[in-house]
Amino acid sequence: MTPNGAIVFGLVVVAGAMLARDAGLAMLAVVCIAFGAVEIQSRTLRALTWSAGIVAPLAAFMAVVWIGIVGRAPDEIAAGVTGSRTAAMAHVLTVSGRLFLVALVVQLVISRFAHLTPLQFIRSIAAPVTVKKLTVLTLSLIDTILQAVDRARTALIAAGVVTPGFSMRNIGHGFILIQTVWLSVITIATGRLKDKWPAENTLARLDHALSSPSVPLGCADLIWIGLAAVASAVAVAVR
Amino acid sequence: MERVAIAGPNFSGRSETLRARLGADGKSFFLGPYAEAALSGLSSTVADEIAIYRGSAQRHATFPADIAAAGMRKPATLSGGEQVLLALHCFSRSDYGAIGIDTALEQLDVANRARALDYLAVGAFDVTLADNRVEQAPAGWSRQDTARTADGFSLDLEGIAGALKPRTAPAIAISGMDFSYPSKDIFRGVDLSLAPATIYRLIGDNGAGKTTLLKLLVGVLAPARGTISLDGTPYQPRRSGNRAFALATQNPDHQWCGATLREDVARRRNALSGRGIALPSEEEFAALSRRLGAKSLDNHVYELPLVARKRLSWLWPFCGAMPWAMLDEPTIGQDRDTRVALAAAVTRLGERGYGVLFVTHDDDFAACVPHRVLRIGGGTIREE
Amino acid sequence: MLTTPRLIVIALCAALNVSLGTVVYLIKLPIYLDSIGTILCALLLAPDRIVGFVCATLAGLISVALIGLLVNPFYPWFALTMVAIAAVSAFLTAGGAPVFRARPMPVVPFAIRVVLYGIVTGIMAAVVSAPVVAYLFGGVTGSGSAFIVALFLKAGQQVLSAALLSGLAADPVDKTLQVLFAALLYRATPVDFIKLVRGQ
Repeated sequence: MTPNGAIVFGLVVVAGAMLARDAGLAMLAVVCIAFGAVEIQSRTLRALTWSAGIVAPLAAFMAVVWIGIVGRAPDEIAAGVTGSRTAAMAHVLTVSGRLFLVALVVQLVISRFAHLTPLQFIRSIAAPVTVKKLTVLTLSLIDTILQAVDRARTALIAAGVVTPGFSMRNIGHGFILIQTVWLSVITIATGRLKDKWPAENTLARLDHALSSPSVPLGCADLIWIGLAAVASAVAVAVR
Repeated sequence: MERVAIAGPNFSGRSETLRARLGADGKSFFLGPYAEAALSGLSSTVADEIAIYRGSAQRHATFPADIAAAGMRKPATLSGGEQVLLALHCFSRSDYGAIGIDTALEQLDVANRARALDYLAVGAFDVTLADNRVEQAPAGWSRQDTARTADGFSLDLEGIAGALKPRTAPAIAISGMDFSYPSKDIFRGVDLSLAPATIYRLIGDNGAGKTTLLKLLVGVLAPARGTISLDGTPYQPRRSGNRAFALATQNPDHQWCGATLREDVARRRNALSGRGIALPSEEEFAALSRRLGAKSLDNHVYELPLVARKRLSWLWPFCGAMPWAMLDEPTIGQDRDTRVALAAAVTRLGERGYGVLFVTHDDDFAACVPHRVLRIGGGTIREE
Repeated sequence: MLTTPRLIVIALCAALNVSLGTVVYLIKLPIYLDSIGTILCALLLAPDRIVGFVCATLAGLISVALIGLLVNPFYPWFALTMVAIAAVSAFLTAGGAPVFRARPMPVVPFAIRVVLYGIVTGIMAAVVSAPVVAYLFGGVTGSGSAFIVALFLKAGQQVLSAALLSGLAADPVDKTLQVLFAALLYRATPVDFIKLVRGQ
């Protein structure tokens, strides 16, 4: 399967999930789990548990609000009727199901290509070169920032300006950490802009590294996209 | 092939001379002096960094580097030395015909530094090297001298050492200390005594726990088991804050608490006064920072050259506010005279009763400072 | 338009969004701090508002996509919110750039601008986000919003207006904080870097 194919698959599933309700969502979930079973095998379970873990707190809050407090579904509020907690629960299940599917399909696509380096993955997707370059640059700078956060945090804790745990001091002084990190990363970036990149023409090397003939969608792509499209269409039809 | 060693003191234009020799036509590989200057800034894995530089045809012998095998590691998390080794490996796989190195080799340990210099000496490419520890041009190299400019940053480490107020640093006792990260044990049952008025050099492989020890002592981390005490009094910096250690970081930009020195000092004073730690007066700070090369406390720190910023990072260990000083690679980028003066100043810290912990790959600097060695590795810390 | 320094600025600001947004998300703070980079991008490129808008939008969209892939898969749904923040930042907040950098700091004009720009940014963010919050999240995006939304729903508001009112209650405060941080970071940014980015 190609990254472009997986992305299209994901987008079709998400589009279907946005419009589907319970039975349709279940159908899309089956397609996703089948995708996982075939394309990423044992890691499917991890994708399922991660997705459930991220949706569970949201579902819990929604349940408290809609079932516990409001006691009716949004369309019942719109119609001005008394409504019921059963309808509210159906609404919560539908929204939670959608969120779960969105989380799951993103995890499945990421897991499918986890063996690729970021450069390999970005090179293979269909996007403007400028966007690809910016994404590569941003990923590199994220690592630099997070490393700077760790180092600066050590220094500022040593200086007493911030504390290791949560504190009122950190509410007031947390900005100092952000400023220190920002300025240290700007200094690194400025150095590259002035010295390394002009000497090496490094960005041109990135252009070369990102350039590749576009890979057409393969059989596996078309099969999965087709399945997702059919499932989405049926899911929307049965809502 | 042309090999040129650019020699001269700090602020004599070596970096400018080096950059002028390389040009800006995209034909030379550049390894700069500042943090992450060895990296392209275009990759988030070691494998991608190598892929970006890989040429259509390999022109040079490969420079072997163990780190090159760590394909999915993030380059930003590598130590400075590892980044330099990775960069040399990338250069060797590229099609650049020349390389310029601005003091970057100073981050390497002795063995890797020798390997790098050997590689540069025999390769079929031009080399331009500025290095504070290459004083004579090696055989087969030519030398280009630069002279100090009038507006260089003056340094008076002797005056700083002379103005140090004596104090009695507390003895540090570590007993039965365990510490682990989720994926790795670092310390197991460590017992260690650090005497006051003593200077210690921490040595150990990358990942052995040098930085972890510093973090445990300033309170970023807390041991899972065991105790740390200062003169017999339990010391829990993670709970009560750091009371004893002034830290000068390897990258000086990681420790500023403000955009100007005045802002930095004010915030530290505000933070530490709540713990009963008195800082020198603003006049004393101004005098100290002038001795370290800053013209005024209102200098914007980040607008100073890297070498000047590195020197200003010594403000904290030498201001006398804390009884123990921690210096992480203090000599990077500093010329010979500065390194000698810094060694004398650090020695004076010990003589005046302070305790010092320092990390350095610069064996020549370490040899100038009477010190004891603490070897960290295998879960232990041993005094050698 | 997209010179090399501007590409760096976009990437830096996107990385700032991702890093801060991730840290705040993981430690479950009741604030976002995920748009500081977008606002800062517009300030760094002031006074050129069109360039500022384009670059801030790119920074925002890239950060939204990366947060979606790396941390929070629901984040990309708020892409339009990020475009709205970029627009307000470029066409309104960037006008405050000279005041934000003035030395010594003119405290009252500084504060007035931060609050005004923060409120407008927050209102725009709440308005653009409301349909997403209402439809995708059933009006509830977390503990902070849950009970405010419940209050409005119980009072008979429909889910879209409840989501909007909940957003209007929270977003201006969050965005004012973010405008403040962005203004202070802009203020601290070395002049050499700003000149490089503005092509001066």
